[in-house]
Amino acid sequence: MKTFAISGRCIAAPPPADWREHLTLMLGAKPRRIGTWAELGLYGALRCMADAGETTLPEDAIIMLASRRGTYTATDLVLGQIHDDLPMPQAFLQTQPSQLLALLAAQTNWRGHACFFADTELHALLRLAAAQAVDGGILLGWVDEMDGGSTNWLRLRHCASVETGFVSALQYDINFNKIIYLQISAAGLQLRHADS
Amino acid sequence: MKSVYLSGRGLACSLGLDAGKSLETLSRGDVATASCFLPGVMGGHFPYHAISYACNNWNERARELVRLVAIEAGAQQARAGALFIATSSFDIGAGEPGATHRNYSAFTDKIVAWLEWSGPVYVINTACTSSLNALIAAHALLRTGEVEDALVLGVELDNLLTLGGFAALQLLSPGSSKPFGTHRDGLVLGEAVAALRLSTREFSHWKMLGGANVVDGSQPTAASAAAVVSMYQRALASSGLSADAIDLIKVQAAGSPGNDAIEAQGLRAAFSTLPALVSLKAAMGHTMGASGTAEIALLTACLEQGMWPRYTDAVDETLGVDLVAHLPDSVRRVMATILGFGGSHASVVLERA
Repeated sequence: MKTFAISGRCIAAPPPADWREHLTLMLGAKPRRIGTWAELGLYGALRCMADAGETTLPEDAIIMLASRRGTYTATDLVLGQIHDDLPMPQAFLQTQPSQLLALLAAQTNWRGHACFFADTELHALLRLAAAQAVDGGILLGWVDEMDGGSTNWLRLRHCASVETGFVSALQYDINFNKIIYLQISAAGLQLRHADS
Repeated sequence: MKSVYLSGRGLACSLGLDAGKSLETLSRGDVATASCFLPGVMGGHFPYHAISYACNNWNERARELVRLVAIEAGAQQARAGALFIATSSFDIGAGEPGATHRNYSAFTDKIVAWLEWSGPVYVINTACTSSLNALIAAHALLRTGEVEDALVLGVELDNLLTLGGFAALQLLSPGSSKPFGTHRDGLVLGEAVAALRLSTREFSHWKMLGGANVVDGSQPTAASAAAVVSMYQRALASSGLSADAIDLIKVQAAGSPGNDAIEAQGLRAAFSTLPALVSLKAAMGHTMGASGTAEIALLTACLEQGMWPRYTDAVDETLGVDLVAHLPDSVRRVMATILGFGGSHASVVLERA
């Protein structure tokens, strides 16, 4: 069993109407040629890190990114063109979800372990996060373009000192805005709310 | 922490439909490539390591190849464990042309049904390093006791998107893959479906000690020497080993003029005395997200049966590295490395009992 404190979060489903302007401010320039999915991911990750008071991550932190459709919008665009000619290089790169991990690493001047998961169930992902995480903790995100877009991120740090006040995640619709601790075990996900 | 064993393997690649057939082809030096045609001004015919298994329906072909490698790896013994599917292209080949509204779950559901899997499922895409990252993740779940068995399945099959994208980036060789070669001129892509079964309860002669993945965003489509060094240092640390404990490294060395040089630079910096180096790219091509599992399956089979790949081009002396021409006398600890898009650098450490 592992307990994590949520030290930062960005829950944006959908993101605010002016999210692109916020992203430009955080990046210091308008992002170019990276695709909407990657832009959404960068926006949420950087907002989450800012919420945690971080501009970069510890070198032993890990980034886990999940999505239901990932870059399939970009992929469909390329597949529509590819029978007559080769895709444009940038258009092909936008079909690769791992490009977002590289962009995030570059933007935060960080080098470390990062991984993309396609359509992986939340509890399975958290079990893996608990098994892989060390002192630097985890930056965990779910990003999708459809239905107005969503970019939800949590910054998780180990916290061994909190043991009580947890309830099973099965009892609630999870609202990560109101949760401050997660407890992960093979038996399931336990949550502790801010007001408990 | 528990010991994690490599308890089964299955391999379908251009060399053969199982590890044994692949070794036979390798031992004959009978490595042949098919040809694929890509449209456009920069298109044309490119060599391609296709799996010799004809079927007009992409899904039926994928199902049969997945079934073959799963049986060979003994996957039925692990169905309640964790399944890690590693791919950079999912089932894009099945949908071409004009498919829309794709969803990753459709791909996952197909494979879960083909394997009759009941345990937790993870689908990992970190481009070329996908299956090594899947191995690293599976190792973490196993050693902490979260599961007792896991199957890591690399799937990379024919699709126009990957070939067209690599051609557009001018990364493909018009001839052959020449790892660290004097005349290297690009990658030759290939198909592979490969499975590695890991277990904490079934002893085998191969143990997975650890591994590391390092993402470096400075070069979105190329390797970074500093990241190569960091990857080796972290992989060794996770395995509790020092650099001099390694006997053999299966390198990436896909035949790229730039990336091979960067990888060689990183190797020289990470190891004061370089271990023996081997590349399998000339034999089976670069099989993208499946390359980690496919190359480990072939490499461990080579080491057990005393086979060794042949290289057609002399190693570029300016790189300061060399590929061993024959099976080294004593190989106990092995690193297997893949470098890929998204600035991803991954390596795992295996130990032979």
